[in-house]
Amino acid sequence: MSILAYNGAAIIAMKGKDCVAIAADRRFGVQAQTVSMDFDKVFEMGPHLFVGLPGLATDVQTISQRLKFRLNLYELRENRRIKPQTFMSMVSNLLYERRFGPYFVEPVIAGLDSKTNQPYIASMDLIGCPMITDDFVVSGTCSEQMYGMCESLWEPDLSPDDLFETISQALMNAFDRDALSGWGGVVYIIEKDKVTKKLLKTRMD
Amino acid sequence: MATMAMTNMFASDQLAAVGGLRPGEVTTGTTIMAVEFDGGVIIGADSRTTTGAYIANRVTDKLTKVTEHIYCCRSGSAADTQAIADIVKYHLDFNRMEMGEEPRVHTAANVFKEMCYDHRDSLSAGIIVAGWDKRGGGQVFSVPIGGMLQRGPFAIGGSGSTYLYGYVDAMFKPDMKQEDCLKFVSNAVALAISRDGSSGGIIRMAAITKNGVERFTLTGDQLPKFYEDN
Repeated sequence: MSILAYNGAAIIAMKGKDCVAIAADRRFGVQAQTVSMDFDKVFEMGPHLFVGLPGLATDVQTISQRLKFRLNLYELRENRRIKPQTFMSMVSNLLYERRFGPYFVEPVIAGLDSKTNQPYIASMDLIGCPMITDDFVVSGTCSEQMYGMCESLWEPDLSPDDLFETISQALMNAFDRDALSGWGGVVYIIEKDKVTKKLLKTRMD
Repeated sequence: MATMAMTNMFASDQLAAVGGLRPGEVTTGTTIMAVEFDGGVIIGADSRTTTGAYIANRVTDKLTKVTEHIYCCRSGSAADTQAIADIVKYHLDFNRMEMGEEPRVHTAANVFKEMCYDHRDSLSAGIIVAGWDKRGGGQVFSVPIGGMLQRGPFAIGGSGSTYLYGYVDAMFKPDMKQEDCLKFVSNAVALAISRDGSSGGIIRMAAITKNGVERFTLTGDQLPKFYEDN
Protein backbone atom coordinates (compact mmCIF):
# COMPACT_ATOMS: atom_id res chain seq x y z
CA MET A 1 0.00 0.00 0.00
CA SER A 2 1.20 3.54 -0.72
CA ILE A 3 2.70 5.56 2.14
CA LEU A 4 0.30 8.40 1.36
CA ALA A 5 -2.56 5.97 2.06
CA TYR A 6 -1.18 4.60 5.36
CA ASN A 7 -3.28 6.85 7.59
CA GLY A 8 -6.04 7.98 5.21
CA ALA A 9 -7.57 11.45 4.86
CA ALA A 10 -10.04 13.55 2.87
CA ILE A 11 -9.76 17.34 2.49
CA ILE A 12 -11.58 19.82 0.23
CA ALA A 13 -11.33 23.59 -0.14
CA MET A 14 -13.88 25.60 -2.12
CA LYS A 15 -14.35 29.20 -3.23
CA GLY A 16 -17.60 31.05 -2.68
CA LYS A 17 -18.80 34.64 -3.00
CA ASP A 18 -16.31 36.63 -0.86
CA CYS A 19 -15.69 33.54 1.23
CA VAL A 20 -13.79 30.26 1.21
CA ALA A 21 -14.44 26.98 2.97
CA ILE A 22 -12.10 24.16 3.93
CA ALA A 23 -13.33 20.81 5.18
CA ALA A 24 -11.67 17.61 6.36
CA ASP A 25 -12.49 14.23 7.84
CA ARG A 26 -11.42 13.46 11.42
CA ARG A 27 -10.13 9.93 11.27
CA PHE A 28 -6.75 8.87 12.50
CA GLY A 29 -6.14 5.29 11.45
CA VAL A 30 -3.34 2.84 10.92
CA GLN A 31 -4.16 1.06 7.68
CA ALA A 32 -7.55 -0.53 8.26
CA GLN A 33 -7.73 0.14 12.01
CA THR A 34 -9.31 3.38 13.23
CA VAL A 35 -7.47 4.69 16.28
CA SER A 36 -9.24 7.98 16.95
CA MET A 37 -12.01 10.14 15.51
CA ASP A 38 -10.88 13.59 16.59
CA PHE A 39 -7.64 14.05 14.70
CA ASP A 40 -7.06 17.59 13.37
CA LYS A 41 -5.86 17.94 9.82
CA VAL A 42 -6.77 21.60 9.23
CA PHE A 43 -4.53 24.16 10.88
CA GLU A 44 -5.01 27.89 11.36
CA MET A 45 -2.05 29.83 10.04
CA GLY A 46 -3.57 33.28 10.31
CA PRO A 47 -6.96 34.82 11.14
CA HIS A 48 -8.15 34.11 7.58
CA LEU A 49 -5.63 31.52 6.39
CA PHE A 50 -5.94 27.76 6.83
CA VAL A 51 -3.95 24.81 5.59
CA GLY A 52 -5.30 21.27 5.29
CA LEU A 53 -2.75 18.47 5.47
CA PRO A 54 -3.73 14.98 4.30
CA GLY A 55 -1.20 12.17 4.16
CA LEU A 56 1.13 10.48 6.62
CA ALA A 57 0.01 11.61 10.08
CA THR A 58 3.49 12.14 11.48
CA ASP A 59 4.32 14.45 8.58
CA VAL A 60 0.96 16.22 8.97
CA GLN A 61 1.96 17.21 12.48
CA THR A 62 5.62 17.95 11.68
CA ILE A 63 4.79 20.08 8.64
CA SER A 64 2.15 22.10 10.51
CA GLN A 65 4.65 22.81 13.28
CA ARG A 66 7.57 23.67 10.95
CA LEU A 67 5.30 25.81 8.77
CA LYS A 68 4.03 27.74 11.77
CA PHE A 69 7.64 28.30 12.82
CA ARG A 70 8.59 29.78 9.44
CA LEU A 71 5.39 31.81 9.34
CA ASN A 72 6.05 33.31 12.76
CA LEU A 73 9.52 34.41 11.68
CA TYR A 74 8.10 35.89 8.48
CA GLU A 75 5.49 37.89 10.39
CA LEU A 76 8.08 39.14 12.88
CA ARG A 77 10.42 40.29 10.11
CA GLU A 78 7.74 41.79 7.86
CA ASN A 79 5.57 43.06 10.70
CA ARG A 80 2.40 42.16 8.83
CA ARG A 81 0.13 39.20 8.04
CA ILE A 82 1.25 36.97 5.17
CA LYS A 83 -0.71 36.94 1.90
CA PRO A 84 -2.20 33.56 0.91
CA GLN A 85 -0.20 33.52 -2.34
CA THR A 86 3.06 34.08 -0.45
CA PHE A 87 2.10 31.42 2.08
CA MET A 88 1.55 28.97 -0.76
CA SER A 89 5.08 29.65 -1.99
CA MET A 90 6.36 29.14 1.56
CA VAL A 91 4.71 25.70 1.75
CA SER A 92 5.97 24.81 -1.70
CA ASN A 93 9.52 25.76 -0.73
CA LEU A 94 9.32 23.77 2.51
CA LEU A 95 8.29 20.66 0.59
CA TYR A 96 10.76 21.05 -2.31
CA GLU A 97 13.65 21.36 0.14
CA ARG A 98 13.01 17.66 0.69
CA ARG A 99 12.78 16.83 -3.03
CA PHE A 100 14.61 13.48 -2.77
CA GLY A 101 13.24 12.34 0.58
CA PRO A 102 9.86 14.05 0.70
CA TYR A 103 7.29 14.66 3.37
CA PHE A 104 4.26 12.49 2.61
CA VAL A 105 1.63 15.22 2.66
CA GLU A 106 -0.26 16.88 -0.21
CA PRO A 107 -1.47 20.16 1.29
CA VAL A 108 -4.55 22.23 0.55
CA ILE A 109 -4.58 25.97 1.29
CA ALA A 110 -7.60 28.21 1.76
CA GLY A 111 -7.71 31.87 2.75
CA LEU A 112 -8.78 35.44 2.16
CA ASP A 113 -6.27 38.12 1.21
CA SER A 114 -5.92 40.34 4.29
CA LYS A 115 -6.06 43.62 2.31
CA THR A 116 -8.43 42.89 -0.58
CA ASN A 117 -10.43 40.02 1.01
CA GLN A 118 -10.17 38.12 -2.26
CA PRO A 119 -10.78 34.36 -1.80
CA TYR A 120 -7.79 32.13 -2.54
CA ILE A 121 -7.44 28.34 -2.73
CA ALA A 122 -4.55 26.15 -3.83
CA SER A 123 -3.24 22.61 -3.50
CA MET A 124 0.07 20.95 -4.13
CA ASP A 125 1.71 17.58 -4.48
CA LEU A 126 4.13 16.12 -1.97
CA ILE A 127 7.16 17.85 -3.52
CA GLY A 128 5.56 21.27 -3.67
CA CYS A 129 4.14 21.64 -7.15
CA PRO A 130 1.35 24.19 -6.72
CA MET A 131 -2.05 24.25 -8.39
CA ILE A 132 -4.20 27.37 -8.03
CA THR A 133 -7.83 27.12 -9.07
CA ASP A 134 -10.95 29.25 -9.13
CA ASP A 135 -13.41 26.59 -7.98
CA PHE A 136 -12.24 23.82 -5.65
CA VAL A 137 -9.23 21.73 -4.68
CA VAL A 138 -9.20 18.24 -3.18
CA SER A 139 -6.60 15.98 -1.62
CA GLY A 140 -6.59 12.62 0.15
CA THR A 141 -7.23 8.89 -0.26
CA CYS A 142 -10.63 9.47 -1.86
CA SER A 143 -9.59 12.27 -4.20
CA GLU A 144 -11.29 10.64 -7.19
CA GLN A 145 -14.57 10.47 -5.29
CA MET A 146 -14.12 14.07 -4.12
CA TYR A 147 -13.45 15.28 -7.67
CA GLY A 148 -16.66 13.64 -8.82
CA MET A 149 -18.71 15.19 -6.01
CA CYS A 150 -17.17 18.68 -6.38
CA GLU A 151 -17.50 18.69 -10.16
CA SER A 152 -21.20 17.91 -9.83
CA LEU A 153 -22.15 20.07 -6.83
CA TRP A 154 -20.01 23.20 -7.13
CA GLU A 155 -21.21 26.35 -8.79
CA PRO A 156 -19.69 29.84 -8.67
CA ASP A 157 -20.61 32.59 -6.19
CA LEU A 158 -22.16 30.44 -3.47
CA SER A 159 -23.12 32.29 -0.30
CA PRO A 160 -21.45 31.19 2.95
CA ASP A 161 -24.46 29.07 3.98
CA ASP A 162 -24.79 27.46 0.55
CA LEU A 163 -21.04 26.91 0.40
CA PHE A 164 -21.22 25.13 3.76
CA GLU A 165 -23.91 22.77 2.46
CA THR A 166 -22.09 22.14 -0.80
CA ILE A 167 -18.68 21.41 0.70
CA SER A 168 -20.19 19.24 3.44
CA GLN A 169 -22.17 17.09 1.02
CA ALA A 170 -19.21 16.81 -1.36
CA LEU A 171 -16.89 15.70 1.44
CA MET A 172 -19.29 13.31 3.17
CA ASN A 173 -20.53 11.49 0.11
CA ALA A 174 -16.95 11.13 -1.12
CA PHE A 175 -15.49 9.73 2.08
CA ASP A 176 -18.46 7.44 2.57
CA ARG A 177 -17.08 5.52 -0.41
CA ASP A 178 -13.58 5.29 1.07
CA ALA A 179 -12.58 2.71 3.65
CA LEU A 180 -9.71 4.89 4.94
CA SER A 181 -11.38 8.24 5.57
CA GLY A 182 -14.40 9.55 7.39
CA TRP A 183 -15.35 8.92 11.00
CA GLY A 184 -16.45 12.53 11.47
CA GLY A 185 -16.01 15.79 9.60
CA VAL A 186 -15.11 19.43 10.29
CA VAL A 187 -15.82 22.49 8.11
CA TYR A 188 -14.34 25.98 8.41
CA ILE A 189 -16.20 28.81 6.64
CA ILE A 190 -13.93 31.82 6.28
CA GLU A 191 -15.56 35.21 5.68
CA LYS A 192 -14.01 38.68 5.94
CA ASP A 193 -15.34 39.35 9.44
CA LYS A 194 -15.58 35.87 10.97
CA VAL A 195 -14.54 32.24 10.77
CA THR A 196 -17.13 29.59 11.61
CA LYS A 197 -16.10 26.06 12.57
CA LYS A 198 -18.76 23.34 12.34
CA LEU A 199 -18.55 19.65 13.15
CA LEU A 200 -20.42 17.32 10.80
CA LYS A 201 -22.58 14.44 12.01
CA THR A 202 -21.46 11.62 9.76
CA ARG A 203 -21.53 7.84 9.47
CA MET A 204 -18.91 6.44 11.81
CA ASP A 205 -17.84 3.54 9.66
CA MET B 1 3.68 9.66 -6.66
CA ALA B 2 5.63 7.42 -4.26
CA THR B 3 4.30 3.86 -4.01
CA MET B 4 6.65 1.98 -1.71
CA ALA B 5 5.06 -0.99 0.01
CA MET B 6 4.26 -0.95 3.70
CA THR B 7 3.98 -3.87 6.10
CA ASN B 8 0.76 -5.79 5.57
CA MET B 9 -2.10 -5.22 7.88
CA PHE B 10 -4.80 -4.32 5.38
CA ALA B 11 -6.99 -7.39 4.86
CA SER B 12 -6.59 -7.33 1.09
CA ASP B 13 -2.81 -6.94 1.41
CA GLN B 14 -2.63 -9.87 3.82
CA LEU B 15 -4.76 -12.06 1.62
CA ALA B 16 -2.69 -11.05 -1.41
CA ALA B 17 0.49 -12.01 0.45
CA VAL B 18 -0.98 -15.42 1.36
CA GLY B 19 -1.35 -15.89 -2.38
CA GLY B 20 -5.09 -15.81 -2.78
CA LEU B 21 -6.00 -12.30 -3.95
CA ARG B 22 -5.04 -10.79 -7.24
CA PRO B 23 -4.54 -7.00 -7.56
CA GLY B 24 -7.85 -5.27 -8.06
CA GLU B 25 -9.82 -8.24 -6.75
CA VAL B 26 -12.91 -7.42 -4.74
CA THR B 27 -12.90 -8.49 -1.08
CA THR B 28 -15.49 -8.70 1.61
CA GLY B 29 -12.90 -7.57 4.20
CA THR B 30 -15.55 -7.74 6.75
CA THR B 31 -17.16 -8.59 10.06
CA ILE B 32 -19.23 -11.76 10.29
CA MET B 33 -20.53 -13.77 13.19
CA ALA B 34 -22.91 -16.54 14.13
CA VAL B 35 -24.26 -17.44 17.56
CA GLU B 36 -26.25 -20.44 18.86
CA PHE B 37 -29.23 -19.55 21.01
CA ASP B 38 -32.16 -21.32 22.62
CA GLY B 39 -34.08 -22.46 19.52
CA GLY B 40 -31.67 -21.86 16.64
CA VAL B 41 -28.88 -19.58 15.47
CA ILE B 42 -28.47 -15.88 14.78
CA ILE B 43 -26.10 -14.84 12.01
CA GLY B 44 -24.91 -11.31 11.35
CA ALA B 45 -22.63 -9.33 9.05
CA ASP B 46 -21.76 -5.81 7.93
CA SER B 47 -22.41 -4.79 4.30
CA ARG B 48 -19.13 -3.40 2.91
CA THR B 49 -17.25 -4.75 -0.12
CA THR B 50 -13.95 -3.09 -1.01
CA THR B 51 -11.54 -3.04 -3.95
CA GLY B 52 -8.45 -1.80 -2.16
CA ALA B 53 -9.71 1.27 -0.29
CA TYR B 54 -12.66 1.97 -2.62
CA ILE B 55 -16.02 0.82 -1.29
CA ALA B 56 -17.41 -1.05 -4.27
CA ASN B 57 -20.68 -2.06 -2.61
CA ARG B 58 -22.01 -0.52 0.61
CA VAL B 59 -25.14 -2.66 0.87
CA THR B 60 -23.71 -6.15 0.25
CA ASP B 61 -25.53 -9.24 1.47
CA LYS B 62 -22.89 -11.51 2.98
CA LEU B 63 -25.43 -13.91 4.46
CA THR B 64 -26.00 -16.47 1.76
CA LYS B 65 -28.55 -19.27 1.74
CA VAL B 66 -27.36 -22.77 0.95
CA THR B 67 -30.50 -24.63 2.04
CA GLU B 68 -33.82 -23.59 3.54
CA HIS B 69 -32.39 -23.85 7.07
CA ILE B 70 -28.64 -23.42 6.51
CA TYR B 71 -26.83 -20.17 5.72
CA CYS B 72 -23.20 -19.21 5.36
CA CYS B 73 -21.45 -15.94 6.26
CA ARG B 74 -18.81 -15.01 3.67
CA SER B 75 -15.51 -13.19 4.19
CA GLY B 76 -12.39 -12.92 2.04
CA SER B 77 -12.51 -12.87 -1.75
CA ALA B 78 -16.04 -12.09 -2.92
CA ALA B 79 -15.63 -14.15 -6.09
CA ASP B 80 -14.22 -17.20 -4.29
CA THR B 81 -16.89 -17.25 -1.60
CA GLN B 82 -19.73 -16.76 -4.08
CA ALA B 83 -18.42 -19.57 -6.27
CA ILE B 84 -17.96 -21.92 -3.30
CA ALA B 85 -21.43 -21.16 -1.92
CA ASP B 86 -23.02 -21.86 -5.32
CA ILE B 87 -21.29 -25.22 -5.60
CA VAL B 88 -22.13 -26.16 -2.01
CA LYS B 89 -25.76 -25.22 -2.64
CA TYR B 90 -25.81 -27.62 -5.57
CA HIS B 91 -24.26 -30.45 -3.55
CA LEU B 92 -26.72 -29.98 -0.70
CA ASP B 93 -29.67 -29.87 -3.05
CA PHE B 94 -28.48 -33.18 -4.51
CA ASN B 95 -28.01 -34.55 -1.00
CA ARG B 96 -31.54 -33.51 -0.05
CA MET B 97 -32.96 -35.42 -3.02
CA GLU B 98 -30.89 -38.51 -2.31
CA MET B 99 -31.66 -38.63 1.42
CA GLY B 100 -35.29 -37.52 1.25
CA GLU B 101 -34.80 -35.09 4.12
CA GLU B 102 -33.21 -31.71 4.81
CA PRO B 103 -29.40 -31.84 4.96
CA ARG B 104 -27.75 -31.48 8.35
CA VAL B 105 -25.72 -28.39 9.25
CA HIS B 106 -22.75 -30.64 9.95
CA THR B 107 -23.00 -32.02 6.41
CA ALA B 108 -23.12 -28.54 4.87
CA ALA B 109 -20.11 -27.48 6.93
CA ASN B 110 -18.20 -30.52 5.75
CA VAL B 111 -18.93 -29.79 2.09
CA PHE B 112 -17.60 -26.26 2.62
CA LYS B 113 -14.55 -27.66 4.37
CA GLU B 114 -13.86 -30.14 1.59
CA MET B 115 -13.78 -27.38 -1.03
CA CYS B 116 -11.83 -24.91 1.08
CA TYR B 117 -9.21 -27.47 2.12
CA ASP B 118 -8.73 -29.20 -1.23
CA HIS B 119 -8.25 -25.87 -3.03
CA ARG B 120 -6.56 -24.05 -0.15
CA ASP B 121 -3.69 -22.78 -2.30
CA SER B 122 -5.96 -20.99 -4.76
CA LEU B 123 -8.70 -19.68 -2.49
CA SER B 124 -9.13 -16.81 -0.05
CA ALA B 125 -12.30 -17.75 1.78
CA GLY B 126 -13.18 -17.44 5.46
CA ILE B 127 -16.65 -18.90 5.97
CA ILE B 128 -18.99 -19.42 8.91
CA VAL B 129 -21.71 -22.05 8.37
CA ALA B 130 -24.76 -21.84 10.61
CA GLY B 131 -28.25 -23.25 10.58
CA TRP B 132 -30.83 -25.50 12.12
CA ASP B 133 -31.59 -29.17 11.60
CA LYS B 134 -33.99 -31.45 13.43
CA ARG B 135 -31.31 -33.75 14.85
CA GLY B 136 -28.96 -31.19 16.35
CA GLY B 137 -30.98 -27.97 16.60
CA GLY B 138 -29.02 -24.77 16.05
CA GLN B 139 -25.35 -25.27 15.17
CA VAL B 140 -22.45 -22.98 14.22
CA PHE B 141 -19.34 -24.13 12.35
CA SER B 142 -16.22 -22.14 11.48
CA VAL B 143 -14.34 -22.83 8.23
CA PRO B 144 -11.49 -20.32 8.26
CA ILE B 145 -8.80 -19.80 5.59
CA GLY B 146 -6.90 -23.05 5.12
CA GLY B 147 -9.97 -25.21 5.42
CA MET B 148 -10.20 -26.45 8.98
CA LEU B 149 -13.58 -27.22 10.49
CA GLN B 150 -14.57 -26.36 14.04
CA ARG B 151 -17.91 -26.37 15.78
CA GLY B 152 -18.55 -23.87 18.59
CA PRO B 153 -21.29 -22.06 20.48
CA PHE B 154 -20.46 -18.97 18.42
CA ALA B 155 -18.01 -17.91 15.74
CA ILE B 156 -16.59 -14.59 14.54
CA GLY B 157 -14.72 -13.93 11.32
CA GLY B 158 -13.40 -11.37 8.88
CA SER B 159 -10.98 -8.50 9.36
CA GLY B 160 -13.30 -6.75 11.84
CA SER B 161 -13.49 -9.78 14.11
CA THR B 162 -10.06 -8.99 15.60
CA TYR B 163 -11.75 -6.15 17.52
CA LEU B 164 -14.37 -8.48 18.94
CA TYR B 165 -12.52 -11.32 20.68
CA GLY B 166 -12.59 -9.62 24.06
CA TYR B 167 -16.16 -8.43 23.67
CA VAL B 168 -17.64 -11.80 22.71
CA ASP B 169 -15.63 -13.70 25.33
CA ALA B 170 -16.97 -11.34 28.00
CA MET B 171 -20.56 -11.01 26.79
CA PHE B 172 -21.56 -14.40 25.41
CA LYS B 173 -24.04 -16.48 27.41
CA PRO B 174 -25.30 -19.91 26.29
CA ASP B 175 -29.05 -20.39 25.65
CA MET B 176 -29.98 -16.73 25.19
CA LYS B 177 -33.42 -15.72 24.02
CA GLN B 178 -33.73 -14.62 20.37
CA GLU B 179 -33.97 -10.87 21.11
CA ASP B 180 -30.97 -10.94 23.47
CA CYS B 181 -28.97 -12.86 20.91
CA LEU B 182 -29.89 -10.34 18.19
CA LYS B 183 -28.72 -7.55 20.51
CA PHE B 184 -25.45 -9.37 21.19
CA VAL B 185 -24.75 -9.81 17.46
CA SER B 186 -25.76 -6.28 16.47
CA ASN B 187 -23.69 -4.72 19.26
CA ALA B 188 -20.67 -6.76 18.28
CA VAL B 189 -20.91 -6.00 14.56
CA ALA B 190 -21.45 -2.31 15.34
CA LEU B 191 -18.30 -2.21 17.47
CA ALA B 192 -16.26 -3.82 14.73
CA ILE B 193 -17.69 -1.44 12.10
CA SER B 194 -16.68 1.46 14.29
CA ARG B 195 -13.00 0.43 14.31
CA ASP B 196 -12.39 -1.58 11.11
CA GLY B 197 -12.02 0.37 7.87
CA SER B 198 -12.95 -2.70 5.83
CA SER B 199 -16.32 -3.09 7.61
CA GLY B 200 -19.26 -0.71 7.44
CA GLY B 201 -22.60 0.13 5.95
CA ILE B 202 -25.65 -1.58 7.43
CA ILE B 203 -25.96 -4.58 9.74
CA ARG B 204 -27.71 -7.58 8.24
CA MET B 205 -28.88 -10.38 10.53
CA ALA B 206 -30.93 -13.53 10.22
CA ALA B 207 -32.55 -15.81 12.77
CA ILE B 208 -32.71 -19.46 11.71
CA THR B 209 -35.04 -21.70 13.70
CA LYS B 210 -37.25 -24.70 13.04
CA ASN B 211 -39.82 -22.25 11.65
CA GLY B 212 -37.51 -21.02 8.95
CA VAL B 213 -35.48 -17.86 8.42
CA GLU B 214 -36.34 -14.34 9.54
CA ARG B 215 -34.12 -11.55 8.19
CA PHE B 216 -33.36 -8.23 9.87
CA THR B 217 -31.61 -5.07 8.69
CA LEU B 218 -30.31 -2.23 10.84
CA THR B 219 -29.66 0.99 8.95
CA GLY B 220 -28.50 4.50 9.85
CA ASP B 221 -29.65 5.52 13.31
CA GLN B 222 -30.78 1.98 14.15
CA LEU B 223 -27.13 0.90 14.51
CA PRO B 224 -26.10 0.53 18.16
CA LYS B 225 -24.13 3.55 19.36
CA PHE B 226 -21.21 3.59 21.75
CA TYR B 227 -19.22 6.35 23.44
CA GLU B 228 -18.23 9.13 21.09
CA ASP B 229 -16.89 12.47 22.20
CA ASN B 230 -19.19 14.68 20.18
